[in-house]
Amino acid sequence: MNDQEYNQMIQRCLRCSICKWIPQVQIKSQKYASICPSIDMFNFHAYSAGGRITIALALEMGRLKPSKELMEVVYKCTECGGCAIACKFLNTLEPLEIIVKLREKLVSLGYGPMPKQAQYIESIKKNNNPYNEPHEKRMEWLPKDIKIDPKAKTLYFVGCTSSYRRKEIAIATARVMNAANYPFKILTNDEFCCGSPILRTGDRKSFIDQVNKNLDNIEKEEIETVVFSCAGCYDTFKIDYASEREYNFKVLHTTQLFNDLIESSKLELNREVPYKVTYHDPCHLGRNSELYEEWDGDELQMMPLVSINIPEKPKRCGKYGIYEAPRKLLEKIPGLNFIEMERNREYAYCCGAGGGVKSAFPEFALKTAKTRIEEAEDTGAEIISSACPFCSTNLKDGIDDKGSNLRFYDISELILLSLGSQDKFSKKLSVEVT
Amino acid sequence: MTLEKEILKEFEDVVGLGNIDDGEVITNVYAYNWCTEIFNYMEGKEPIPFSSVPKAVVLPSTTEEVQKLIKLCNKYGIKFKAQSTGLGPWNQPSTDNCIIFDMRRMNKIVKIDEKNLYAVIEPYVSGAQLQVEVMKYGLNCHMPGAGPQVSPLASSTSMNGPGFTSPSTGYSARNVLAVEWVLPDGTIMKLGSYGLKNNPDWYHGDGPGPSLRGIMRGYSGTKSGLGIFTKVAVKLFPFPCNCDYDVKGYSPNYEFIIPKFMKLYIMDCGNFKKLETAILRVEEEEISFMCSYLCNYAVMAIFSNSTESLLDKVALGRMQAPLVILIAARTKREFDYKQKVMDFLLKKLNLKNIIGTLYTPDPIFYAEALRSNLGLHGFLATGSMQSAEGGADTALVCLRSAAMNTPLKKKYIKKGVIVNDFGEGAWMSSYESGHYFHLEALTFFDQADKSSITGMADYMGKSFQLDLIKHLGAPFFVEGNRMHDLFGPHMSNYHIWLRKIKESFDPNNISDSGFYISPQNK
Repeated sequence: MNDQEYNQMIQRCLRCSICKWIPQVQIKSQKYASICPSIDMFNFHAYSAGGRITIALALEMGRLKPSKELMEVVYKCTECGGCAIACKFLNTLEPLEIIVKLREKLVSLGYGPMPKQAQYIESIKKNNNPYNEPHEKRMEWLPKDIKIDPKAKTLYFVGCTSSYRRKEIAIATARVMNAANYPFKILTNDEFCCGSPILRTGDRKSFIDQVNKNLDNIEKEEIETVVFSCAGCYDTFKIDYASEREYNFKVLHTTQLFNDLIESSKLELNREVPYKVTYHDPCHLGRNSELYEEWDGDELQMMPLVSINIPEKPKRCGKYGIYEAPRKLLEKIPGLNFIEMERNREYAYCCGAGGGVKSAFPEFALKTAKTRIEEAEDTGAEIISSACPFCSTNLKDGIDDKGSNLRFYDISELILLSLGSQDKFSKKLSVEVT
Repeated sequence: MTLEKEILKEFEDVVGLGNIDDGEVITNVYAYNWCTEIFNYMEGKEPIPFSSVPKAVVLPSTTEEVQKLIKLCNKYGIKFKAQSTGLGPWNQPSTDNCIIFDMRRMNKIVKIDEKNLYAVIEPYVSGAQLQVEVMKYGLNCHMPGAGPQVSPLASSTSMNGPGFTSPSTGYSARNVLAVEWVLPDGTIMKLGSYGLKNNPDWYHGDGPGPSLRGIMRGYSGTKSGLGIFTKVAVKLFPFPCNCDYDVKGYSPNYEFIIPKFMKLYIMDCGNFKKLETAILRVEEEEISFMCSYLCNYAVMAIFSNSTESLLDKVALGRMQAPLVILIAARTKREFDYKQKVMDFLLKKLNLKNIIGTLYTPDPIFYAEALRSNLGLHGFLATGSMQSAEGGADTALVCLRSAAMNTPLKKKYIKKGVIVNDFGEGAWMSSYESGHYFHLEALTFFDQADKSSITGMADYMGKSFQLDLIKHLGAPFFVEGNRMHDLFGPHMSNYHIWLRKIKESFDPNNISDSGFYISPQNK
């Protein structure tokens, strides 16, 4: 979004509050009608997309000056993009992009990111990960019996969260690829944070450094495909890297890869996983991973005040996110009973961790996770699964804090379980699940 | 202008920490609303979308909290203004000596009485939320044209609330039953059967004793100018068809299976005289779920989800006086009967249904019609829209009003400040099977273009004068001192009575009257 589009759009919010709800025609109950974790937590209208658009306008008009109060309101948002899906059912505003740009403007004025987020960013610059962990320990997740093929044309980009915090997801992913005899390699110590935490909190300049560091390293390796088990890294490469610098490899999420492997009979799911399972769509794998379609048309004024775009400008409404691949996977697991949550696919409710919220406002992240866990419980599921280590962390926190009987497993873990592998990790996982 | 710390503390003690905010960011956000720029300009102010900035915003969660907060407002001479879902300039404070009561935390559906066909709701239950819950009982609720995201409580107590389904679900002002109402002095008033000493319940809106419904809301509601409504019972209706409502696919191209017993008719009546005959005749038969006159531009809009797709519907744009009717039924027998009546009327009136021949809408249209989402399509062309004039009357007067306004509108279209809808932009719906009608002269303008804003405001002002000169009645949005003082002397001096009511119920003039009327002594 350029400055002209931004300045036009911030004048056009109707204050209709559509951004607070899932698309109106999809509302199935009073309880799960909401889409915005921020307004659900803080209640004042300012904490909605419409409110933040008003803040952007008030800043441009000089009615408001940047301040700590303003910064807090702008940063208490998970940037899940649910608002944008709801708004764009009929309107042409881009609420999420406005919020992203508003954060970038605040950073340029010295009001952002939040102190905790700044610590994470410092750690990325210093240690190449946001968790203040030594870079040399990045590979500690990797068991010795995992086969890595240095000549492989596929790279598994592990990501910081799976490398340091949710190692089980990285291990399960690698084991599934091994089971399918699918050759892959990893960047070992040349893998750096994808930069998503920097970008989402408004520091685009520093983000571009991460883009260049990672792409330089990948391009050295003659890679054809990069596979991600982290929805955040996947989205950042697919959408945000592509907007900053061209690259010549294909990006795949593991849910897509595993489906391909099953459909080409390279993976066989034999073992029953007899549980009721529901699936949480990560925002970064679902609605926000939809590509920006290039538009190279003209704006034609049909009459005073009414213009149209020729050809019609594509609306990014979340339709082309990755929704079916994870569902197909779950449905292929023998004995597994897949149950959908009320808010799903492009209007799924956020887990609460994104946009820097988990670090800066942990209570907000936790409350949102518990809301999502309650929705999962209401389906009657025993397991909630997802395809993102960051969602995994926050949803697990939600389960623990709520004292829920639900259990969380990443989709890669459920696939591994269904393969019936007999290695130590798989046996441990099997015991844990059963 | 912020609150003194000690006063803020007293308010905070009522609602708890985190439920009141007097910071400049939160308060400035509450100063913004759609069309505020128009109303500012009409009041001689700068045409910007910000009103006065409130001193603070408070989030009560119970009626008792509302009562205590109002008493504090009286104690310190601070005005209050309540809002729920908050769409429109009517939610804005008229002075910076004002606290906004955002009713968002009062969001319960208190009761659904499926036998007696009513539901009791709090202010922040949205229309879509209420509808989806009553659909579980095979029932429906009325929703205003503003859309399913707005509050039925606000619409029924404080606005007027016509909607696309008005022929079968009435309108908000007529659907309100018993209410719980905190008066401007903090007294809790229970109106209707909820006020009975023995066995209070919500099923009736009048009595005991003289009905106060007219005082409570009158024609167009008080917009929080006479206290705050904390609970309300609204009428429910049978859902017009089966409730197996399932929208699949992805936004914005959702898929929907059109209910078996549902049929859309769009006929070009050619002129207003024939339109009047047709709409009265169809409504006399009491068969429609929806029955509206929509100008050609509006017909194009309800089937579109972008400006490009709107302007693509030339076949619809050629119609002179389109009549849009949706019939729905729960049984084949009922559906056959309704279709038979429509066939008979079409033949008799020499009208042709263009649906299925000249135009076939996407199935999602039917889902949106059932969920009252069609009004929001009006914002597609320019991003903003407002109704210049209109009101409730007979079909004849409503259509005369639209016809008389057309030459005036064309002048402003020629200036390029409003969108060219051939001067005919209007929506007219029957109320309650044609007993009377609602008309709004929809006008599209650009809220980011100063000349469009001021042009639209001038056009609205001239439309009001035209209504007076031509004896077309009070417009839809007759509110605030300026409008009441303009129309009152021509309409039995109602404004004098309205002022007396305000003075009696709000002796300290604490309930913000910006969109109601100020007391006599001011």
